[in-house]
Amino acid sequence: MAFLRRLLPAALLGLVALPLALPAAVRAQAAASEQDVKAAFLFNFTKFVEWPSAAFSDDGGALQLCVFGDNLVGKSLEAVAGEEVGGHRLAVRRVEDPGKLAGCHVLFVDPSESVDRTSQVLSSLRGEPVLTVGDNRGFLDRGGIINFVLEGTKVRFEINQDAAERAGLKISSKLLRLAVRLTPGTKPGP
Amino acid sequence: MLRNVPIRRKLTLIAMLTTGGALLLAGAALIYFDVARFKKEMASDLTTLADIVAQNSTAALSFRDEADATETLQALRPQGSIVAAAIYDDQGRAFVRYDPKGGMIFPARPENREDAYFRGGALVVFRPIDLKGQRIGTVYLRSNLAELSGRVKVQAATVGAVFLASGLAALFLSSGLQRLISQPILDLAETARTVSEQKDYSIRAGKRGADELGRLVDAFNEMLVQIQERDTELQRAKTELELRVQERTRELERRNEELHQSNKELDDFAYIASHDLKEPLRGIHNFSNFLIEDYADKLDDEGRSKLETLMRLTRRMETLIDSLLHFSRLGRVDLAIDQVDLNEIVAEVADSLAITLKETGTELRVPRPLPTVRCDRARVGEIFYNLVVNAIKYNDKPEKWVEIGATEGAGNGGGPPVFHVRDNGIGIPEKHHDAVFRIFKRLHGRDKFGGGTGAGLTIVKKIVERHQGRIWLESSAGEGTTFYFTLREGDVSA
Repeated sequence: MAFLRRLLPAALLGLVALPLALPAAVRAQAAASEQDVKAAFLFNFTKFVEWPSAAFSDDGGALQLCVFGDNLVGKSLEAVAGEEVGGHRLAVRRVEDPGKLAGCHVLFVDPSESVDRTSQVLSSLRGEPVLTVGDNRGFLDRGGIINFVLEGTKVRFEINQDAAERAGLKISSKLLRLAVRLTPGTKPGP
Repeated sequence: MLRNVPIRRKLTLIAMLTTGGALLLAGAALIYFDVARFKKEMASDLTTLADIVAQNSTAALSFRDEADATETLQALRPQGSIVAAAIYDDQGRAFVRYDPKGGMIFPARPENREDAYFRGGALVVFRPIDLKGQRIGTVYLRSNLAELSGRVKVQAATVGAVFLASGLAALFLSSGLQRLISQPILDLAETARTVSEQKDYSIRAGKRGADELGRLVDAFNEMLVQIQERDTELQRAKTELELRVQERTRELERRNEELHQSNKELDDFAYIASHDLKEPLRGIHNFSNFLIEDYADKLDDEGRSKLETLMRLTRRMETLIDSLLHFSRLGRVDLAIDQVDLNEIVAEVADSLAITLKETGTELRVPRPLPTVRCDRARVGEIFYNLVVNAIKYNDKPEKWVEIGATEGAGNGGGPPVFHVRDNGIGIPEKHHDAVFRIFKRLHGRDKFGGGTGAGLTIVKKIVERHQGRIWLESSAGEGTTFYFTLREGDVSA
């Protein structure tokens, strides 16, 4: 009882202080980890997508993760550079110029990029075996393949199967299953 | 414990125990190996299941999609035996848990072993979740052993049922088959019992086969044959012996008859001879007497003396012939058997010898009363008379005595009474113990100890023998003689 009595004031104090402190802390944490989560997702996408063999210069050729635009996600991506996925070494590259996208296997288009630049990049890559990943409402409509969406604080994604088909990429059913939205058609069952 | 149980029961018991033991052992081995195999199978199945779960949760784990991962684990629900499942991320933190019954305690961190193993009544496995050659997490599955214990129960029940069924079958079969062994033994035992009870050695045990029991029956029958042969032989020998004994008995009877006849002839001869001898002897004596009376003056002294000697000799010869006549008459005349009080007899003897006893200073003692027996009164009186006379005659002691007594019943082993006449006389040397009973046998000179014919003891012996009795004597030279005799004809009466 003595122990409880001593603890009780501190607990009450915590209960009062918590609502004030929590939103800011959670928001900060979410903001900090969201980029890491997206970077991790980008990295993990490579494991569930198959590129046509022509997409690689040779068998042991590097898998290029390109980041177009702001480099917040790109910064987090640096951590996975040099990892191997399916026999390919991962390389992370930042691209500023839409004309220098050749060689990219994954292209993340930062949401800070304008709709026009985004559309321009996407149309320039139409038919190319590049997994385009965006973080913007309408990204799929403009021809992107995967788009991040937030469900509450959770990072989720949607997939444009037509675009993937056009790009000659095979997306694992496991990945498709996790998509919150699939275009066209319905989300496959579990 | 089983020693006294019948063979039939023993055989059945042996069959049952053997069958039961073998069956139980086989059943236990079967269950043991099946459980081992089933456990291996379970482990393999659980590992496979964990691998499938791992394969299906790569994407969910990669994109931290808890709902999808949970869905994957929920797919385990039809597997009723899975009581807990979990997915851990590459940091070893639990990502999602599956706890269908609730209250399950999960391992805080995955264990670093990949093979399924049994622990705490459950089968547990940790399997890696690999994606493109990289380990991204761990699947944990825990299965209860309900299936295993159910299987063991079913198998135990099956083995039990088989055990019961085969036990009954074994009981049925063995109680039928045991007869193969027990029946010949029982038959043999029954035959042996019959043989020993009826002593009939012609009975034979029945043979059923040529096995050891058959040989036993053969040996038993062979034994019976030998016993029978010996029995027959024994019987024959016995019959032969009996015949021989009968033959011998007949022969003895015949000889006895002959002996009796010749004895009688001898007695007759002695009687006739002595009777006829008396006639001329009396003539000699009479003419000798005439000579002395009529021619006394014509003879000188020497002549007279010779004539007197002649007369003395004829008198003596007459006495001898009288004795012989008397003796031979004893063998020819029937005994007059009657109840006789021996005390009276002894009193009569004492009366008739009163003067002699007084003159010789001999004391006649009868310490105890004598019994009454069946005998010939006059003859038995003669026995006592002769023995007492002898006792008085052959005594050189200054204080002479004669004792008459009888030992009856317990005193001589329950037989007929033994009478005795004892004296403190001169005694008879042992070498003469038989000779004293011979007729006309005298141990001493003619005129010593008062003379006599030497027929007395012979007559005594003859009378005793006619009474089916026996006479003998004990003596020590110089100290005295005791004559003992029995009278078989005489019954003791109180």
